[in-house]
Amino acid sequence: MATSRSESLPSLRKDMESATAAPFRRVLVANRGEIAVRIIRACHELGMEAVAIYSDADAEAQHVRLADLAVRIGPPPPSESYLRIEAIVEAAQATGAEAIHPGYGFLAERAAFARAVEDAGLVFVGPPSASIDALGDKLHARRTARDVGVAAVPGTLEPAPVDRPDQVASIIAEAEVIGFPLLVKAAAGGGGRGMRRVVSAADLPAALAGGSREAASAFGDGSVYLEREIVPARHIEVQLLGDVTGHVVALGERDCSLQRRHQKLVEEAPAPGLSREERHDLHAMAVRVATAAGLQNAATAEFLRSPDGAFYFLEVNTRLQVEHGVTELVSGLDIVREQFWLAAGRPLSAEALAAAERAADPAGHAIEVRIAAEDPSRDFTPTPGRIRRWLMPSGPGVRVDTGIESGDRVPAEYDNLIAKILVHAGDRDAAIARLRRALDETEIAGIQTTLPFHRFVARSEPFRAGELSTGWVGDWWDGPAEFRRAAGVALLAGGLNALTSGHAMTPEGRPSSPPTGDEPSADGRWRHAAHAAATDRWPS
Amino acid sequence: MSHRRVSPGDDTNGTTAGRPDASTAAPAQDRIVDPRAVRVALAPVAAHAEIDPIVVEPPAVPVAPAQRIAGLGVLGGMAAPASGFGASDVVDQGIVLIDGDPVHIRLDRLGPVHGVLIDDRTPASRTSVLLLPFEPAPGAPGSGGAAVQRSGVERREVVVDGWRVEIEIESERRASLRERARRGREESARGGPTEVRAIIPGVVVSVSVVAGDAIVAGQQLLVVEAMKMQNELRAPRDGVISRVAIGAGRTIEVGDLLLVLE
Repeated sequence: MATSRSESLPSLRKDMESATAAPFRRVLVANRGEIAVRIIRACHELGMEAVAIYSDADAEAQHVRLADLAVRIGPPPPSESYLRIEAIVEAAQATGAEAIHPGYGFLAERAAFARAVEDAGLVFVGPPSASIDALGDKLHARRTARDVGVAAVPGTLEPAPVDRPDQVASIIAEAEVIGFPLLVKAAAGGGGRGMRRVVSAADLPAALAGGSREAASAFGDGSVYLEREIVPARHIEVQLLGDVTGHVVALGERDCSLQRRHQKLVEEAPAPGLSREERHDLHAMAVRVATAAGLQNAATAEFLRSPDGAFYFLEVNTRLQVEHGVTELVSGLDIVREQFWLAAGRPLSAEALAAAERAADPAGHAIEVRIAAEDPSRDFTPTPGRIRRWLMPSGPGVRVDTGIESGDRVPAEYDNLIAKILVHAGDRDAAIARLRRALDETEIAGIQTTLPFHRFVARSEPFRAGELSTGWVGDWWDGPAEFRRAAGVALLAGGLNALTSGHAMTPEGRPSSPPTGDEPSADGRWRHAAHAAATDRWPS
Repeated sequence: MSHRRVSPGDDTNGTTAGRPDASTAAPAQDRIVDPRAVRVALAPVAAHAEIDPIVVEPPAVPVAPAQRIAGLGVLGGMAAPASGFGASDVVDQGIVLIDGDPVHIRLDRLGPVHGVLIDDRTPASRTSVLLLPFEPAPGAPGSGGAAVQRSGVERREVVVDGWRVEIEIESERRASLRERARRGREESARGGPTEVRAIIPGVVVSVSVVAGDAIVAGQQLLVVEAMKMQNELRAPRDGVISRVAIGAGRTIEVGDLLLVLE
């Protein structure tokens, strides 16, 4: 049985009495990191108590401290903690939570989780399990789009035959119609898993088999289908809200074209270069698909935009997106707050309806960059470890969503997103200037992050000119060269400092012992020091 | 102490899935554990081609800075730090030698951590830097500075434009001794076995080879999962697997021995 930090379940928050109405009294946040912090903030602003869950890796994490109650959910591996449906539902019941917000990732798009929450008599803050099921199947979503006259990315609408020699000819014929290169994608997929790029018919059978195998192991469903590869493409998505009456509105679109390995790096709202009419049409297409799918609460419809300006429906994500903040900034709406009211059965609020009215005329421009524990000079490989210095920007038009503080460790077990830095300004150029300023103020030491990449983007002329595509990183970013340039400066600065000061600088300004100039020893002490450092930075 | 040599962790021989020429028997004290200093490159990933796992393999050219700034030292104009703690200098300036060339350069300190490097070369530049001592985990064996002092190597973390660079500062004398030792090892190691070591931490998902297997360069050896991503380790060269040191399911750290290639 999970243990809670407090035995007293009655109202813990002193401000509860004064809160006239809240969607719920107490909410369990089934997540960690920055999104758990974001949701807990919304809970507190609504006068609700927040219950955190945590694994042993997160016992001292910010989301645990901010919550009113915290329940240990298991050891660090996600499968033994944040993915344990039964334990999480049990924690909610034990702490008297009435609703569960899943955040994004982990269980957010598992219909089984939503169903378990519903079956326990609790409220799942998100779409109902049935729509998660329906829209989580990308083939189903593609057929839904076709039924309401929205063009999906050209490709197949039924699962492709896998390991069926008798049907190879027919699937190759279909592939020829779609055109090469094309993508084999997992119907239950996400994050690029189960995906294969196929350049010729000869490679297709192997790609189908391989993609299907990977999909089966990742999602428990080996169904794959074919989709044309649109290159260069822009990734543009529409934020949606829906209520229990079936009323769905669009709050605006985001451009998320800057990606690597199908993971977004930079997002902005509105999408640059679209006319008002194009925005309107795009929003209407998203609403049509979502309405047909019976969508409730918050979701995002994703589209690709080909170079000729045509939009193709990609999929619907039935959850709060990482990048929801940019839409909040230009729509003036708190999407998490709306999620709670919608989950409580309220119709779309007057604020949400007003924001939907203005969706094609957003207020200014917002940009988000994802600070991740990744090395952008080594193809964005993970860099878990301890943060030794952590100074986030502030000032006019800057919002930072994070769950990290100086001294925290970024565990290797979880997603490597550690902060989102968002800026908002009157127009795109002003937003880019503000982003540049904000990133100049940002200081992170102890682990390598994506900060240098974002500093580059903020100074990039192609980015400023709105030259966006999903191939942007490969086209413009030379991480090793950028690192070499910085390393040259670092060598000079470090060397000069060591030469003249004779003592090291410390974070506290306390001088450390000077180097003695002793000769190298072969006694292995160096190894111990190095090993300790490695152990700290690379937790087992 | 007229000269010290500064290098970005350049003595990494044998630390990674190794360069075949100089990878064996590298004493552990020469091992740089920071991945920044480990010489690896990842195959570039083109847009939409992110279908395969990332390929981690030892490259011909290290990603770590090739630019080697040796012989950084004082020509004049600066107070030499003859014995330990100097006055509270706020400006480190003077002419230094970079690869033998004299360069006008200055470091303005703006606090215990912050500095601005002013480089008068063309194009002239001012760059904000963070300077931090390198610190092992508190309480961990080796913390407290004794080991660092004993080895004659000072390690620092310098942050420039968001890039984190670990640098080592050592005496000229130590550097030349180390160079000599390294050359000796390379001589004896030529043609010898290659230790393939972990260059990222994670969990071994699968091992594709067993002892005795003949392999070719680029062949997949094992798959490591870290932060939800599957990373494929490939053979650095042709050879025969003489030993497999880990199995599927094992959690590994940077520097752990994975297998040995004859």
